[in-house]
Amino acid sequence: MNKAAKEKTINLLFILPAVALFSIFSLYPIIRTVQLSFYKWDGIATTMQFVGLLQYKDIIFHNPAFWKSMANAAYVTTLALTFQNGLALLLALLVSREIRGENIYRTIFFLPPVLSGIVVGLIWKWIYDGNYGILNHFLTGVGLSHFTNFAWLAEIKTSLTAVAVVHMWKGFGYGFIILLAGLQTIPKELYEAAKVDGADSWQQFKHITVPSMIPVFTVVAILTILGSMQIFDLIYSMTQGGPAGHTHVPITRIYQFMGNGEFGYSTAMSVIFGCLLLAVSFIQIEVSRRMNK
Amino acid sequence: MLRIVRLLIACALLVPFTSCSQNISRKADVVIWHWMTDRQAAFEKIAAQYEKETKVSVLFETYAPSEVYRDKVRAAATGKLLPEIFSTLGDKREVSSFINAGYIADLSADMQTGWKSHLFDKPLSQNTFPEGNEWKVKPGIYGVPIDVSAIMIYYNKDLFKQAGLDPKNPPQTWEAFLEAGRKLRAAGIQPFASGFSEGWLIGVFANSYAWNMLGEQGILDTIKGTIKYTDLRWLKVYQVFADMAKHDMFASGIATMVNKDAERTFATGKAAMALNGSWGVNVYFSMNPNLNYGVMMPPKMSLGEYPMRIFGGEGSSLNVNATSPNKDKAIAFLKWMTAKEQQIQLAQETKNIPSNQEAAGGLSDILKIFAQNIKNTFESLPVSESWQVNNVINTDMQAIIIGEKTIDQAAAEIQAEKMRQSGAK
Repeated sequence: MNKAAKEKTINLLFILPAVALFSIFSLYPIIRTVQLSFYKWDGIATTMQFVGLLQYKDIIFHNPAFWKSMANAAYVTTLALTFQNGLALLLALLVSREIRGENIYRTIFFLPPVLSGIVVGLIWKWIYDGNYGILNHFLTGVGLSHFTNFAWLAEIKTSLTAVAVVHMWKGFGYGFIILLAGLQTIPKELYEAAKVDGADSWQQFKHITVPSMIPVFTVVAILTILGSMQIFDLIYSMTQGGPAGHTHVPITRIYQFMGNGEFGYSTAMSVIFGCLLLAVSFIQIEVSRRMNK
Repeated sequence: MLRIVRLLIACALLVPFTSCSQNISRKADVVIWHWMTDRQAAFEKIAAQYEKETKVSVLFETYAPSEVYRDKVRAAATGKLLPEIFSTLGDKREVSSFINAGYIADLSADMQTGWKSHLFDKPLSQNTFPEGNEWKVKPGIYGVPIDVSAIMIYYNKDLFKQAGLDPKNPPQTWEAFLEAGRKLRAAGIQPFASGFSEGWLIGVFANSYAWNMLGEQGILDTIKGTIKYTDLRWLKVYQVFADMAKHDMFASGIATMVNKDAERTFATGKAAMALNGSWGVNVYFSMNPNLNYGVMMPPKMSLGEYPMRIFGGEGSSLNVNATSPNKDKAIAFLKWMTAKEQQIQLAQETKNIPSNQEAAGGLSDILKIFAQNIKNTFESLPVSESWQVNNVINTDMQAIIIGEKTIDQAAAEIQAEKMRQSGAK
């Protein structure tokens, strides 16, 4: 074996563990999921019935509950993209100004994302609770007596937004950290030069910060979309999809079908959902590429 | 030397893979998976006793909540890693999948040796697949009930008194029930709580009235499709929820309330009534030992032609892994566990109704009422409704509770789903 071939073999050996792990834990499950989606299978039986695209057809044309859950996830995502990321950007801008105790703020803002989703969900469920919740206790304490026993999670008008608020509270720390890192990579000389030219803070933000941050915004937006569309643990622990299905999202629907022995159908749902997420991510990347040009 | 070291490392790395599939069920002679973590101590005591008597080691492993347990059993079945004894925690359709796949042993022959005669008939019938069942399961008995349960309405005697109601005579009719709700609300007490976020519990309540309005044949005809979910009798069933909502009977947040929260609400006196199972006796005792309560049947509707029925029968039923080499040891343990002495011990320690009729004598007054009403539980049917239809029923009952849908809208949606599922079949 010559030297180049030997080097190539060694290089390949180095990436082999990563490739093996990726293949076993990511690639194989994806292939198997797609394969299963063409079968009717309850997860237990030793045989599966091939049904082709029948399950896809049913989901796309005859399952409005799945599309309603998609709309619910889109609502949470829209709120997260605007309010959650807006707050994250605002805090990142404040902290990037070399204020005192910068590291303390970073730690505090990054605490919610590292907490378990189920634990956060259960705590907030208690906060919102109509019988014991401290939110109602506070509101009635300040004179809003009609909030006594108001069930935030069981009312159609408030349930999904109440869950979205918790999702945003839990998630803004990720965006904050990424945006802060992005802000710190912008050369200070640009701001100094702009100041010399007479640019005010808003102009500096508009003409230096925003254009420099577009790749970072793209990453944060994609992560927010993927994270919000795939929300599960908070819904599961706070409402279980209720009241009357108003907080169901695609993952809770998929879980519901899987739990009821519809493995083939739920994997078909997963494939459709996965494709939609991929499409949204590609569109997002393409848009940001064009904006960067 | 380097080669030997490499070989040893490789062997060491392979050890976990070679041993895991063998050892998972070999932690003891008989491994049992159960989902009620509050019974762990009682189970361990029973297991230690059995080992002392027979030298057969038994290990109870409990996993909660029940959905997680159910997923674990499914995954273990697919991976051929089921323990000797487990439960599918599913309906007959799901159990039949396990049986047809060869995971659950037929216990009919063992039951004929006198074992069967000690057990309550109702829970046993729920573990029995009759001739000609829709799931094509070979007729037989496939599970052993280790306790029995029923779901009734608990009521707080002190709160009843506070609202001017007679705690000795809880409401017997639907009208009296609504009137009791009105009086409770007027006294500033939330009348009724239950875990209606959990579909099965709202379904249980709806089903009690379905039995009341349609009887067994009517329910069977609905499942077969000859009676529609838009039938007047079904509308009366949905009316139950509309009436209760109209009379402001539901506790705050009932549509997203899980049963654990509902139990806490009742145990702390935040609601005067609660639909819950007989296991609630133990739960309420742990939450509030001084709670002064009674139990009653869900009140019959005046137009109901058939007797009121309640959900119940089997409490926890266990299945034996047909593929386990220790299958016989597992069956022997279950026989021992359901014998009178062990059943008395378990019933006392877990405050539950035993599955062995001979052990039911020493129950508390409340549990006696539950035990007496086991005969009033739903009959085991040879067919079952699709889960999707049941899911729409449960969701639409929530929608009626929160005032989103009328009973006619709900009926139309349920029937539409029924048609969809019939077409899919």
